[in-house]
Amino acid sequence: MKLSGFRYLVEQGIDNVWKNRMMAFASFCVLLVSLLLVGFSVLVYLNVNTVIGGIESKNEVIVYLDDDTTDEEIEEIGTRLKGMSNVSEVIFYSKEEAYESLKQSMAEYEVLFESLGDDNPLVDAYRIKVKDIAGIRGTINEIKLLDHIYSIRAPYDFVNVLIQLRSILTWVMGAVIVAMVIVSMVIISNTTRTSVFSRREEIQIMKYVGATDAFIRFPFFIEGMITGFFAGALALVVTWLAYDGIVNILQNQSTLLNIIGTGSIIPFNDIYAPVTACYIGGGALVGALGSAVSTRKYINV
Amino acid sequence: MVELKNVSVTYSSGVDALNHVSLKINDGDFAFVVGSSGAGKSTMIKLLLKEIEATEGTVVVNGYNLSKLRRSKIPNLRRTIGIVFQDFRLIPSMTVYENIAFVLRVIDAPKSYIRKRVPYVISLVGLQAKANNYPNELSGGEKQRVAIARALVNDPKLIIADEPTGNIDPELSYEIVELLMGINACGTTILMVTHEHDLVRHFGGRIINIAKGEIVYDDIMEGEVLYEETIAPGVDEDMMEDADEA
Repeated sequence: MKLSGFRYLVEQGIDNVWKNRMMAFASFCVLLVSLLLVGFSVLVYLNVNTVIGGIESKNEVIVYLDDDTTDEEIEEIGTRLKGMSNVSEVIFYSKEEAYESLKQSMAEYEVLFESLGDDNPLVDAYRIKVKDIAGIRGTINEIKLLDHIYSIRAPYDFVNVLIQLRSILTWVMGAVIVAMVIVSMVIISNTTRTSVFSRREEIQIMKYVGATDAFIRFPFFIEGMITGFFAGALALVVTWLAYDGIVNILQNQSTLLNIIGTGSIIPFNDIYAPVTACYIGGGALVGALGSAVSTRKYINV
Repeated sequence: MVELKNVSVTYSSGVDALNHVSLKINDGDFAFVVGSSGAGKSTMIKLLLKEIEATEGTVVVNGYNLSKLRRSKIPNLRRTIGIVFQDFRLIPSMTVYENIAFVLRVIDAPKSYIRKRVPYVISLVGLQAKANNYPNELSGGEKQRVAIARALVNDPKLIIADEPTGNIDPELSYEIVELLMGINACGTTILMVTHEHDLVRHFGGRIINIAKGEIVYDDIMEGEVLYEETIAPGVDEDMMEDADEA
């Protein structure tokens, strides 16, 4: 095809948006709503996932060491702990620090502490945080194999709750996102089919005068792409404003933020690029393919 | 040239639409195809455009053996055929000029050729003043003239006119047939399907009568008027030749 022919088809696609503005507007609205449904579902999933991750990161495992462990051995254990793949943070907590902390927290039992004199009944410990809470049991088993480990304290019950919560959330949100995508595809497909149906005669005329399938489809492709692009752009703006609004409201809820962690809500600026690409790219692609594919039924004459 | 050899068409419903039909229409012929509803006229047109396949027999149109023609080559066949429908089938969102130019754009014709050829063809059908009008701004007769111009614009070897006078006033019907005869006089084969016997009697010529899927009559019938007298106003052979050279 010559360049002039290609330009003609692109111009036809652009012109068709205006000539068929009612159907183009219907497709635009359907694409917009579909993109928002899917987009918000994904954003909610990402944020809830991050919130759970934030809660998980606050849980620590305490590794108590034998009382007779030498300083060199303590250092060696610390190095081995830091070398473990699922360990993200290792802090040494000496028995002196622990004793001071205990005395402060139990100030009313001062007499009891005085009776102990200089004897410190506590032991040295490491406070560690794990990267993936689902792998905490494996990490603990690994730690148990080290020498001079007196005992390990881990929040097993809480970990189980979090693992189950994350699992349920993944399934529920996954199902919601899949449902949204299916519903959106059905609505988009019906709308583009209706749009193409209203122009089936036009397509048949093109076929009768010897137009190839590609010649007929290309303007529909361009038309759908333009509609999808603008639907994606508006969906981006709506999401941006709504997301920022929700984040602002949450940031004023200090109690809630203390529970879920201040860093748990993803700022829009951090996800701006992928969200823009998904909305505009996805909108244009779905619009273009939806329109072009819907012509198939009427193209076979 | 159109040639059907022992062609039968049976639809999936079991209806035999054409039954061992053999027919030859030579280049430059003008033939009326007549017959009552359901006789098989529309099936024959669909066959010639390769919209449907023959169940049996061979169909050759403008050198294309349709039983051997691949789907991807159908556009090439259709570019050698001009088609005029009873219901005009103009693209409503395009002007008269655009509807006609569209056919040339389909074959990727140069812009300069389109700019010359389209106004010329519009002038042949006498619609210069309506070139920028949309189909809904035209009368039935004018729409059919646009459809004829569209069928003519890429200089096809064959024009199939399917009931071209069915949706227009009777007095305009004669003008449309005269226009088609004028085009035929310049060498284009015309196959006109109609059920208007008055028109056929008036103009005469080759008449192919189909009944129940079979050709029951195929002969020359003398008309009430002589063919030479019926050339459409504004159309003459010199003009057609000029257009071909362009």
